[in-house]
Amino acid sequence: MSGPATATVDTPRTAGAAQPDARRTIVAFCCRECAYAAADASANARTPLPPSVRLVLVPCTGRVAPLHLLEALASGADGVMVAGCLVGECHYREGNLNALDRVLLVQRLLEAVGVEPERARMFTMSAGEPPRFVAAVREMDRTIAALPPLQRS
Amino acid sequence: MPLTQRGRRVAERLPHVRAAQGSALGCEIVRHEELCVGCGKCATTCPSGASVRGATFDVAQLLAAPDDSRRGALGAALRRLQRRAPDGPIEVPPRVTTYRTIDYQADLCLGCGACARVCPAEAIEARGPADEPDDVPLAADVVAPGDRPGAATEEAS
Repeated sequence: MSGPATATVDTPRTAGAAQPDARRTIVAFCCRECAYAAADASANARTPLPPSVRLVLVPCTGRVAPLHLLEALASGADGVMVAGCLVGECHYREGNLNALDRVLLVQRLLEAVGVEPERARMFTMSAGEPPRFVAAVREMDRTIAALPPLQRS
Repeated sequence: MPLTQRGRRVAERLPHVRAAQGSALGCEIVRHEELCVGCGKCATTCPSGASVRGATFDVAQLLAAPDDSRRGALGAALRRLQRRAPDGPIEVPPRVTTYRTIDYQADLCLGCGACARVCPAEAIEARGPADEPDDVPLAADVVAPGDRPGAATEEAS
């Protein structure tokens, strides 16, 4: 979706549904202190997000377990992303570092069973950077769009 | 049967104890890796250092987890996504503690069964010794009167 940020009646937020590849789903686990606040601010500024993204609010990215990421992928998501605070700025001291290593583990697990590891990614940002959150979601969306559909048995 | 580090130090000084080693004492430890949750309790409890938390994780162990086990949900999710069989163990990032395969070295194991007692997932089984050896020397036979630790080494040298 490009063009001016001011949405008119003709171009609602779901305009991307007409695109053939808009069926994809990305689950974004967002930290309440930073990424979700940034998402909130970007929504207030009416910056369009890719229609594929689904936000999940978590108190801290340290809550996200490998099971959350793998279960999301196994039950329909094409990609999962974890959006947390900048390194050293976690409100629970080291939750984002734990999340980073768990995402790394999930990437290695996926690679071991023949799935593209870039389906799970971690981004960091601060609460005052809505453009960075939007950029992260768009980058994730581009990454997933470039991959073949995820096969599940 | 292997000894603890301290036990080895004592045994080195007493030659007749050395002869008694190798007899089957203690339990046979059987590990069911697919049930392991990687808590590491066996590694912290093990008196001889036979069970150690490793630096890698065997993906096949996770894929084999039964549905009603603690890792069942994660194993089931990974099985749904699986496209090929894993090549082997993967490196584990430093902050991930539970997704690690326990390195079990049978040649260091005392067969005490402490790991089987603490295991919360019932992944370790301690089977009793198959045949009771009856030629194990008693304490009285092992240390002769007047034998002092260190005396044997002095005689030998």
